[in-house]
Amino acid sequence: MRYQNATAYRFLAPYLLIFSIFWLWPIIDSFLISFQATRTVPWRFAPTFNWGRLIGDPAFFNALKNTLLILVIQVPVMISLAIVMAVLLNSPLLKARGLFRFAFFAPVVVGEVAYSAVFRLMFNLDYGIINKLLNSIGLPSVDWFTNVTPAMAVIMMAVTWRWAGYNAIILLAGLQSIPEDVYEAATLDRVSKVKQFFYITLPLLKPIIVFCAVLSIIGTMQLFTEPFLITERGGPGGGTETLGLLLYRQGFRSLNFGYASAIAYTMAGLAIAISLVQIWLTREPK
Amino acid sequence: MAAVTLKNVIKRFGVFEIVHGANIDIDDGEFVVFVGPSGCGKSTLLRMIAGLEDISDGEIAIGGKVVNDIEAADRGIAMVFQSYALYPHMTVEQNLSFGLRMTGNPKADTERRVKRASEILRIAELMKRRPRQLSGGQRQRVAIGRAIVREPQVFLFDEPLSNLDAELRVQMRVEISRLHKELGVTMVYVTHDQTEAMTLADRIVVLNAGNIEQIGAPLDLYDDPANRFVAGFVGSPKMNFLAAKIVGADNGAAVVELVNHRGARLRKPLSDALPAIGGDVVLGVRPEHFFDAGQGDCDLTLKADVAEHLGSVSYVYANSGTGGGREELIIEREASRHRANGDDLVVSIKADRSLLFDATGARIR
Amino acid sequence: MTSHSRVSRSQARLGRSIVLHLFLTPLALVWLFPLWMMVVFSTMPDNGIFSPDIELLPHGNFLDNVGNLQRGTNFIGAIGISVSVAVTYTFLSVMLTSMAGWALARYNFFGKGMVVAIIFGTITLPYAVVLIPQFIMVARDFKLANTWVALIVPPLFNSLGVLFMRQSFSMMPHELFDAAKVEGVKEWRIFLFVALPLARPMLAALAIILFLASWNNYLWPLLINSKPGAMTAPVALGTLIGLTKVSWGGIMAGAVMLTAPMLVVFVLLQRHFVAGIAAGAIK
Repeated sequence: MRYQNATAYRFLAPYLLIFSIFWLWPIIDSFLISFQATRTVPWRFAPTFNWGRLIGDPAFFNALKNTLLILVIQVPVMISLAIVMAVLLNSPLLKARGLFRFAFFAPVVVGEVAYSAVFRLMFNLDYGIINKLLNSIGLPSVDWFTNVTPAMAVIMMAVTWRWAGYNAIILLAGLQSIPEDVYEAATLDRVSKVKQFFYITLPLLKPIIVFCAVLSIIGTMQLFTEPFLITERGGPGGGTETLGLLLYRQGFRSLNFGYASAIAYTMAGLAIAISLVQIWLTREPK
Repeated sequence: MAAVTLKNVIKRFGVFEIVHGANIDIDDGEFVVFVGPSGCGKSTLLRMIAGLEDISDGEIAIGGKVVNDIEAADRGIAMVFQSYALYPHMTVEQNLSFGLRMTGNPKADTERRVKRASEILRIAELMKRRPRQLSGGQRQRVAIGRAIVREPQVFLFDEPLSNLDAELRVQMRVEISRLHKELGVTMVYVTHDQTEAMTLADRIVVLNAGNIEQIGAPLDLYDDPANRFVAGFVGSPKMNFLAAKIVGADNGAAVVELVNHRGARLRKPLSDALPAIGGDVVLGVRPEHFFDAGQGDCDLTLKADVAEHLGSVSYVYANSGTGGGREELIIEREASRHRANGDDLVVSIKADRSLLFDATGARIR
Repeated sequence: MTSHSRVSRSQARLGRSIVLHLFLTPLALVWLFPLWMMVVFSTMPDNGIFSPDIELLPHGNFLDNVGNLQRGTNFIGAIGISVSVAVTYTFLSVMLTSMAGWALARYNFFGKGMVVAIIFGTITLPYAVVLIPQFIMVARDFKLANTWVALIVPPLFNSLGVLFMRQSFSMMPHELFDAAKVEGVKEWRIFLFVALPLARPMLAALAIILFLASWNNYLWPLLINSKPGAMTAPVALGTLIGLTKVSWGGIMAGAVMLTAPMLVVFVLLQRHFVAGIAAGAIK
């Protein structure tokens, strides 16, 4: 093939420049900083300073535990819900399709701050609309933000509300790329609709489901705004503190960049592990 | 105007060599067609002449100048693409003038050239339309017009008619022939359709699997193919190939036994050295070269399977029955409206209307 | 027999259709509820929000709430910054991204495999890894904190957008570009005058997604432009959440002002929106 190095790199130059300055170097720098003691100026090389602290830090394990807990519950629930939304939105029997699409897809455009504010207000103990509605059907109020379990539930509900439609859009596009005649053939073979879903739709959709799951996991792993704004800096008492929030507190409140970098690299390690699982899950069968 | 010379041109993609040393001399003003089945390397060869593919080895010259390292735009060529490659967001006029505008050609000259092209192709009334508002044939004209506007020394056509329906294809074929006469410019034309090649070309280059099988005038290829591949590729319907054996020799002629036709024998005079007795050969007979029983040198008794009546002629699909192996043959007969299923059919072949090939496919003359 | 089975078939369809709508309608209402409440809250006085009554319909206090909001922080000014930043960012990012996508779609060059590997690699890399050095570099080394450059330039790198544009360009018939090349048109002109006009729908999708990402971006602007007067609208709004004496009606009015324009764009350009997200244009 003809090589056109000069032309190609002229088109790539601005992109690669931005990449080098704002991504490539920071990736390396972050790694280096994680081995430095950064609480006093000048910083000094101290390989076990941050990593040693990390292994013994209950705050880190608390954040890790909370993050994993949210991951394990919220992502499967959201992806399942997104699949249901996509499949039902794709049904030829659906009327007022535009309205339903709007309902599920609209949260995609809502900013984190705006919806955090709304959720915070909706789940207010005394005046929140959720508790008022619970009371009106005879149920007691829930003290959403002073107990860990309901606070976690609010975070998970908020994230699910915000991102289920986003995943449904991707899954719906995947559904629409499955040729109609596959289903027609199955119908002629007397395969029921339910079986068609489990034996045709799901297997054909699997790579896209895995893609959605990985993007969601990596997004949820970095969860910051929701515990920052909805549950008031990871409250109650660190009960909803995530790795993202811990990183923020260490890095930008305590200005302890070395320790924050170690936390960041832990997240990267998790992300790489999850990507490897994705590659393994979507590998072509031999 | 210019001659095009290919000297031992080789194309490799990685470790795969897909053109194995092509030597072709195209005269100034000549219409040459590259023809062959898909994947034979004909389009690659054309794209190398155009400068859209690098030349891995060898040399291409246009107008006596080696162009290996010259950019496509500076080779004095213009190309018409299979998909027409019209810019969908521009009007016909903008499509025609785009290249000239982009390279800073003087405005008045651009307008003159666009006007001339539109007159030659009779598309003046389409100038303000966009490609999607045009029919297939009109798009084809615009694509050719875009080539004319460049006033090239060499026109390159890459399967330009393959997206048209049968009727339009015939019409545009005539049009391209007319254009060649009018402009008198060298044209190189790639197609997989041997009918197009036969009707358009001054000379045809037959390609197969990256090799040039034969170069020659259309009727020379038809009458005197160099090998079994060319014999089979040129002519429609295809030439029949009958399995045969050399069973004797006398006086500069080989005696050939058709092994699937109950020992039928043909005496075939040859100018080459006679092949060894007992050797396997193949006898090629075109569908139009079967005669009525007794009129030729050797009669064959066949069973007719299906007949296609085209009006002017009929093609009978027949088989050799169960004598030896079963062999399928296509035979052209005068138009007849008889049913053919299972009928016995006796036809005759002639030594001078048949071709002999050895087991490797090479011609024995 | 046939007419009987036709009736039962259409009855079965009707049944399934009813079940479908019975399930989907409540779900849709639940999904719309937070947005609806955002609107309702933004039109209520604070003493209405914090009253024991259930209020599900809008009132008429929106403009008062905007006034309350503006008293707490210069929200209108912050919106101005957000708009300018998002517009500039979108333009630059679309150019950068489509140029890179074009290079990957059209040329063979030394190191191409490497560039593609980098782009794929960064899709799954958490942003957290680059956040701290990015901040140190921009704030301490370049001294660019609280400037527009700090808001616009570092987020310019995005990987899914490049893959989307590469895909878009490679799906175009390459003969179009060959034709221009044979005519002697320079590569950058082929890009500008042939490829980009043909990619218009894809560019629209990309631009919408990028604009939205910039408009809603929170963490990076929170860190780098924290000075009053340099804040983007989400950051300015975020500073109010959690304060004790604050007008929640005002905060909700701000939330509506952030969200409503995007919803309008979403409704008008849903097709491009969906295309952009479906192609995984950006996280």
